[in-house]
Amino acid sequence: MTRDGTRVAAGWRRALLWTHCALVAAFLLAPIGVIVIVSFNDTTLFSFPPTAWSWRWYEALWRSRTWREAAGFSFWLAVAVTAASLVLGVPAAYALARTSLPGRRAIEFFLVSPIVVPVIVLAIGLYVLFAPLRLIGTPAALFLGHTLLALPVVIVIAGAAFRRLNPSLELAARSCGASFPRAFWHVILPAVRPAVISGGAFAFLTSFDEVVLVLFLGGPRTSTLPKRIWEAVKFELDPSLTAVSTLLIALTVAALAVAELSRRARRPAATGELKP
Amino acid sequence: MISPAVDRPWRGRPELLALAAIVFCIAVYAVPMASLGAWAFRDRAGGWTLASFVRLLGDDAYHYAFLTTFRTAGITTLACLLLGYPLAYAMATAGPRLRALLATAVMIPFWTSILARSLAWVILLGRRGVVNQWLLSAGLIDQPLSLLFNSLGVQIGMIHVLLPFMVLPIWAVLARLDPGLPLAARSLGASPARAFLHVVLPLSLPGVAAGATLVFMLAVGFYITPALLGGPDDLTIALLIEMVVRDLLDWSFGSALSLTLLALVGAIFGLGAACAGTGRIVSTEGRA
Repeated sequence: MTRDGTRVAAGWRRALLWTHCALVAAFLLAPIGVIVIVSFNDTTLFSFPPTAWSWRWYEALWRSRTWREAAGFSFWLAVAVTAASLVLGVPAAYALARTSLPGRRAIEFFLVSPIVVPVIVLAIGLYVLFAPLRLIGTPAALFLGHTLLALPVVIVIAGAAFRRLNPSLELAARSCGASFPRAFWHVILPAVRPAVISGGAFAFLTSFDEVVLVLFLGGPRTSTLPKRIWEAVKFELDPSLTAVSTLLIALTVAALAVAELSRRARRPAATGELKP
Repeated sequence: MISPAVDRPWRGRPELLALAAIVFCIAVYAVPMASLGAWAFRDRAGGWTLASFVRLLGDDAYHYAFLTTFRTAGITTLACLLLGYPLAYAMATAGPRLRALLATAVMIPFWTSILARSLAWVILLGRRGVVNQWLLSAGLIDQPLSLLFNSLGVQIGMIHVLLPFMVLPIWAVLARLDPGLPLAARSLGASPARAFLHVVLPLSLPGVAAGATLVFMLAVGFYITPALLGGPDDLTIALLIEMVVRDLLDWSFGSALSLTLLALVGAIFGLGAACAGTGRIVSTEGRA
């Protein structure tokens, strides 16, 4: 093939690749865009593009007590789950990164494996455990179940940060006389703060979005936002749903932005990160 | 090593910091999984039995659910690979701005509520949905197509949910690939296609294995998408479990089904981990 022929062929290949990527990106983003646009629709039909625009579904949402209560319950549940999974997960991730015990890999696998198990299987198992303890339908059941799902997320994210951290940073603090808890709180934790923040953000989303556990372990007293959405999608298709979904999408984008910004703010020299 | 001896136990035993998480996971994870096992092999009188598994093996309705699940998971994995690999390749070779744009297109759906996305597909694919309205007004069809509450709807929804799980591990491997390698192949006379097939593709296989394992494993256990977008013919194992425990209240058989699903997922994970390494699979699933 001539040099020109090769260049033309290369141009075609790139054009083909980018067309493919544009189409796949459109497939990934279109449903999200459609829902945001339809939520500002003025009619009860999900017509697209909307013929008239309004905030009425957001107002309906704001006036509805059940949606407000569901959102409030989900929020506080997610806050509690985030706190618990950080308190349990960050020290565990540190321990797994520093220990040299032979069982390290097995323990790490055990702590992280709940994310590999289908949630429906966890739901059945937790129901069997909680039913005799009379926990079904209580917030405690959801708190424990969601923490089980969020903990591996925190351990994976924080673990990666601890493994990148230079161990001599901690040694320096210790040889300057800091006790271990002091060194952990004042030197080690600040060095991995971006990972703690993004682990927390993703733990929050894990709980805030969770629907399978709440369908099995929840009751009338524990109506979370996803459970309300589930019922509305399955049984009534209320147009307010598009407004709720748009707010959820906004929350997701905000959480991703928090994680990304905390990652960018990290200064490798100041955090004692090991050079690759 | 210089370290004050005062609080030596902390220094020597960092493992202690994992204790709370281990105790928590034993209580809320290991115990329930073990009790599933006990329920699955127990009969009403309290003796041990294999009756649930005999029932599972003997009935065509259950075989059909397993077949549906594996067919759906297989098609989803293949489609995600075909759609995702070129995207991951483009992300690895693009400039920083385009890469950021594509990464955003992957990460936003990755983290968006599955419920919100399922609702979007209901709006898009329904009989009077956006796609049908457009096709009708464009004169391409006379009758609305049935795109929802059948296996096509489930398939579209699952590919949408699981595509990022394929793209991210492949991208991770391709981004770390030495760009000098395909260049070296080119300078030795290989055509671009040959350089890709014999150099880039083989080196990216661990990422492909990790992505395919993740997608297949998640697809086999999936509950939300088939429940919302599927029809009566799309009974997967996860839906069957729900039906057995909720409608038939048969916890013993439900436990046996759950245990079978768990074993299948474990086998897929083991196979994938052997090919790709545990870390690659877990770190994407953990969304790190």
